[in-house]
Amino acid sequence: MPQTADEKRSAFEREALPHLDTVYRVALRFTGEPAKAQDLVQDTMLKAFRSWHRYETGTNVRAWLLTILRNTFINEYRKEKQRGPTVDISTAETFSLFDKVQEEDPEGRFFDQIIDDEVLQAVDDLPDEFRETLVLSDMEGMTYQEIADVTGAPVGTVKSRLFRARRALQRRLYDYAVEMGYIKRRSP
Amino acid sequence: MTAEPRRLECTEVVENLYGYLDEELTAEVKAAVRAHISQCPDCFDHCQFERAFLRFLEARSRAQNAPPELKKRIFEQILLDRTRDA
Repeated sequence: MPQTADEKRSAFEREALPHLDTVYRVALRFTGEPAKAQDLVQDTMLKAFRSWHRYETGTNVRAWLLTILRNTFINEYRKEKQRGPTVDISTAETFSLFDKVQEEDPEGRFFDQIIDDEVLQAVDDLPDEFRETLVLSDMEGMTYQEIADVTGAPVGTVKSRLFRARRALQRRLYDYAVEMGYIKRRSP
Repeated sequence: MTAEPRRLECTEVVENLYGYLDEELTAEVKAAVRAHISQCPDCFDHCQFERAFLRFLEARSRAQNAPPELKKRIFEQILLDRTRDA
């Protein structure tokens, strides 16, 4: 049965709007800029509201919103993004942070010394497909299947991107921690 | 009777650590990883370390919520919107 305008609005407010913080955080990592992230979120939520009749009640509304966000970003925002990735992913797989710090700091206490901005910048510098996978998993707690649904990549690809993204991020944070004197460099 | 978990080498455990922490392994592999970790101090430490890393990442993003003015704009936007995307 079609919803009245009021019913639609209240269903949207009840089901979609609680995910606004998630949508905003992901948008921030996609765009790298708060002002652009706000525009992207606003566009996403308006599109979602206008196509609310296509959303099946009871299905995963967060994944549905993030799919709209991702498509909107790719089609309308990505070309404007100035910065390219600076983290090298190609050799990330062989890096193991645990092996580097195992003797000095096996519990990873130095993580606490790394400031938020440095972590987020390192995430932002990952290549797009690795960044989005890591953000959806490690920052928003989505399952491999949910990430596959949002990104359109097979689950096996999600798994391998996540592995490489985490290792690349660890290498970057290791270099930073060494530079700041939080830990000592260990030769390979 | 429960079957004994399959025995894994350390390298296999390390390959499966993220799947283990993400709760994405099959029951069989999960049991094998757990059995190995409970008896191998190195892999136990490695597992704890990766867990700490993932918690650290999650914690660093949680503070960033949508600004109140953005929430207000979106409420107003949908209140005034009359378009339906057919």
